Amino acid sequence: MHAERAIRLPKAGHPIKFNRMSDDPCKTELASWLELVGIERDKSAFTDLFRYFAPRIYHISLSKFGSETLANDVVQETMTNIWRKAHLFDSAKGQATTWVYTIMRNVSFDMLRRISANKEDNLSDDLWGHIDNAEEDSSLEPFRDHLADRELQNGIDNLPDDQKQVVESMFYQDLSQSQIAEKLGIPLGTVKSRLRLAMTKLKHHIGEKHD
Amino acid sequence: MIKYHPDNAFLQSFATGDLPASLAAAASIHCEMCSSCAQTVQSYTKQAATDGFSALDSRTENAEACSYRSMSSMDAMIEQITKDEEQDMASENQSKTIQVQGKQFELPRALVNIPLGKWSSLGRLSRSRLGMNDGDIRASLLLMEADGGVPEHTHKGFELTLILEGHFKDEFDDYGPGDFLMLDSNHTHNPQTDTGCLCYTVSNDAQHFTKGFNRLVNPLGYFIY
Ligand SMILES: [Zn+2]
Repeated sequence: MHAERAIRLPKAGHPIKFNRMSDDPCKTELASWLELVGIERDKSAFTDLFRYFAPRIYHISLSKFGSETLANDVVQETMTNIWRKAHLFDSAKGQATTWVYTIMRNVSFDMLRRISANKEDNLSDDLWGHIDNAEEDSSLEPFRDHLADRELQNGIDNLPDDQKQVVESMFYQDLSQSQIAEKLGIPLGTVKSRLRLAMTKLKHHIGEKHD
Repeated sequence: MIKYHPDNAFLQSFATGDLPASLAAAASIHCEMCSSCAQTVQSYTKQAATDGFSALDSRTENAEACSYRSMSSMDAMIEQITKDEEQDMASENQSKTIQVQGKQFELPRALVNIPLGKWSSLGRLSRSRLGMNDGDIRASLLLMEADGGVPEHTHKGFELTLILEGHFKDEFDDYGPGDFLMLDSNHTHNPQTDTGCLCYTVSNDAQHFTKGFNRLVNPLGYFIY
């Protein structure tokens, strides 16, 4: 039996601490159960997942739908999807809890649509697929960097030749200002002033695009 | 550059699956075009998962989970589920192109499986209602052809306009692909387009168009939203 202690859930918008009871599996354990189910169709790993998630899914669904029958349906359908889709879980892309949550959310959404709109279109995949399948956090950065790089390159291409030479030596050959002066056979002061002019133009160029 | 984004509360409701289908589609389409909002939705999803699946309140667990366990035996359900040998394939990326007034448009992912109503036209405006079956909320595709526009109108309820392709401007600003405009009864506007523009629109205002002092504009309003 668990002691009578209430564990308050963190409020939305606040940093979350994972408040764990003694018998709670850790995140990597959940992920490894999912992997066992996905790769080996391991029933005991699925049983572990079931015992952890089913009561939680039931609890969330009961407060959302207010119906024990519906909550039970959500549990059954979500757990079935976990069994059938576990091989699609990729621990490199995100946490096991997030993955299970998106399955539960999609099941609830499609179920509600079947009931209230009489639609069997299972729209959830079309609505969330492109977001859930994107890798967490880091995935979108390369896209941005890529864009920024291109804008920067555009800006550099548009510089007068003497400034371009200085900037390229610095950016791409990683030379110091005095090395650039030496390489180009010009005074250090000239390198500095060309760089200053070039930077002003580049800042202006990139700033325009981002305002 | 997208200038207008859904607010965070909207994105959070989208992440938790609490928006009606038409509005969820608007959020989804915007996120397909806006990496930063997509990232925000990911964070809200992660947060909701952590909130929802963290340790259960022990009393709740005892009361509910026990009734849950007695109601349907866990082991029976586990047995039934694991009998199934099948595995689901990853869903493939579907796409759908439509043709309106001689122009081709690729539809966003969220709309590929939604039935499109017949296109009807009025002047330089064409509209197709989407078969979302979303109660009072209506979703449409609206095409404004080049040099066209929508006469000045106000909104009762809300009117959501999300630009899929092209640009339009009104007395406040100009708008381009991905811009997400949620207008309510405080707004009056008069969108005009030079180049043509395809929008996804959502409105929840059913009665507005059949009565009231805006009668003259109403038939058109009904047509559009
Ligand atoms: Zn955005």
